[in-house]
Amino acid sequence: MREETRPGAPGPANTRDYGILVEGVSRDFGPVRALDKVSLHVPRGEIYGLLGPNGSGKSTLIRILCGLLVPTEGRASVDGLDVATQGEEVRRRIGYVPQRFSLYEDLTVLENLDFFASVYGLKNAQLKERREWAIGLTAIGPYRGRLAGQLSGGWKQRLALAASLMHRPRVLFLDEPTAGIDPVARRELWNLLFTLAGEGVTLLVSTHYMDEAERCGRVAYLYLSRMLVEGDPADLTKLPEITPEGTRRVEADCEEGAAAVMSQARTLPYVEDVTIFGNALHLLVEAQVPDARIARDLEEAARAKVTIRPIEASLEDVFVRLTRLQIEQRGDIPAAAEASR
Amino acid sequence: MRGFLPVLKKEAVQMIRDRGTLQFALLVPAFQLVLFGLIDTNVKHVRTVVFDQSRTQESRQLLNDFVNTSYFDIVAYAPSRAALEEYIVAGRASTGVEIPPDYARRRLNGEPADVLVLIDGSDSTVSAQALAAANGVAFARSVTELAERAGAKDLPIRTHPLLLFNPDSRSANLLIPGLVAILLTFSGTLLAAFAIVRERERGTLEQLMVTPASPVAVVLGKLLPYLALAFLQLLFVLFLMTVVFRVPIHGSLLLLLGLAVIYLFALLSMGLLVSSRARSQMEAIQLAQMLLLPSIMLSGYIFPLSSLPAPLRLLAQVLPATHFIAISRGIIIRGAVFSDLWQSVAALLAIAVVLVAGSTRAFHKTIS
Repeated sequence: MREETRPGAPGPANTRDYGILVEGVSRDFGPVRALDKVSLHVPRGEIYGLLGPNGSGKSTLIRILCGLLVPTEGRASVDGLDVATQGEEVRRRIGYVPQRFSLYEDLTVLENLDFFASVYGLKNAQLKERREWAIGLTAIGPYRGRLAGQLSGGWKQRLALAASLMHRPRVLFLDEPTAGIDPVARRELWNLLFTLAGEGVTLLVSTHYMDEAERCGRVAYLYLSRMLVEGDPADLTKLPEITPEGTRRVEADCEEGAAAVMSQARTLPYVEDVTIFGNALHLLVEAQVPDARIARDLEEAARAKVTIRPIEASLEDVFVRLTRLQIEQRGDIPAAAEASR
Repeated sequence: MRGFLPVLKKEAVQMIRDRGTLQFALLVPAFQLVLFGLIDTNVKHVRTVVFDQSRTQESRQLLNDFVNTSYFDIVAYAPSRAALEEYIVAGRASTGVEIPPDYARRRLNGEPADVLVLIDGSDSTVSAQALAAANGVAFARSVTELAERAGAKDLPIRTHPLLLFNPDSRSANLLIPGLVAILLTFSGTLLAAFAIVRERERGTLEQLMVTPASPVAVVLGKLLPYLALAFLQLLFVLFLMTVVFRVPIHGSLLLLLGLAVIYLFALLSMGLLVSSRARSQMEAIQLAQMLLLPSIMLSGYIFPLSSLPAPLRLLAQVLPATHFIAISRGIIIRGAVFSDLWQSVAALLAIAVVLVAGSTRAFHKTIS
């Protein structure tokens, strides 16, 4: 597996063209390397997805870009400004929505918004105008007088977003903004993010959800502090090592007993990889093995009909496959990822 | 200083909204004041048991002398020495008086008579005062008798002791001015530590750090409302002290309040120092304990400084509480003026400057 960025990623570029530019950034916490030579380029107005298991370094990267952590090595710039040397100017131009709700629960929605606006130096009419804009965008108006601590998860997240937008940030960082909120609130939040991107705001969003990753213009996958892959989600599914030469991907639709079929599939010599999706299995198989033979082998275990049809790799396939290859290659155990948090 | 006013305003709103903080700042001192205001460390009416083998007019007169000091209350008569000791061992009496069978005869013959006084030494305050009182009784009776025998009308030397500042020897007058300092120590340090640690615990400090607000502005904006609250607490405690407990302030109230501000700066800095180490409010309490305990034990509040061994006396000198207690007692009890107190003021000022500088540095280090 190659370590450098994927085809499609631009080479050394003019800082100004990019909302976020990260070049060879590492960060050590004592003996633990939380981030290892990560590079990424996010054009202005793009939504960039950051994926990876817990402890892979996503939050560390976001915290470096927000100026909360100093990188051990490498260079990062946000909205054309160097994070390390122009920290104060950078902070004026960014918004940050952390993983955990970090507004004041004992203040009302309005008081929270006013507070953050005034910290950015907004006053009177200007403050009011920005506040009403943020309230309109996030539709949090009906709750303006409510204490932030009494809002539900989804509304808290909208409030956090509204507070981070009061000063018209050019770049917005969201660390797992949809963790723990319901699907409807999730979709609405993403619609908001698209609206912002449409206005030219650059967004860096970390997430565990594949459907969210697929909505991003580009995604990067971090694993054990390193970036394994980066690029357009559609391009990533066509990477050669995801479906290596001489193999193909098929879906095995089982009427019942998918779990038993999976155990069976693992024992078949021509099956390289199996993932279960409800009643169906996604298999990576040797290309020359015909559908009929796969169906027959699997039906033995299922004791029911199995339908085979060819499929494209999904984004999840990409990450699962890359992670497996990485483990085989490095001999790492995934648990080690936890230690690097 | 960007962000100072917004942070100040926000913190004040939060402080007023938080019942716990206000209660901590106002109810706790009131409660402690009541406790300490009612305590009387003057020992009176020590439970006393008597083994009188003489049973004469003379022995009864001696016992009357004991009772008349009001230090001793005779609660029982023991039939034997063993019974007398048993009373004290069992804790039913703190003093035992044994009068021998030949007491009256020896007294009448002009020979020295012996009286055994047993004192429970397990409580040093009680035993010291009982000892002094018992000696006093015997001494006074002896002197009167010697003078009578010599035909002297008057004693050669007469002392006229006058207890200055606190003529009634009220403990409250001594304890409460010290307590004022101790209460401020608690609230000042803990309120400041909590104010910062709470934001760290809830993640809001990090949110503040991604804004252009300067760290110094954030700290000052957060601490100032607590300075005001602690000052309010001081006024409240002084009000209770003078009005409810009738401890008058003999010196200048303005001087006391002015010096208290310096003291509060030192305390809030200690709180800030604690907050730069503590990750949670629990941890903050434990760390603060390490600073507060010496402030209570070594500052002269409970034990006089002269009773401390040399190394601890040195340690006491670096505690801001030591100097503020000296100032507070000086102004409230003795009516001291600035020129009387300049040494304590200078020490307090020096400590405050070092603490403010040290704590802001420590805080800077932890957030960056």
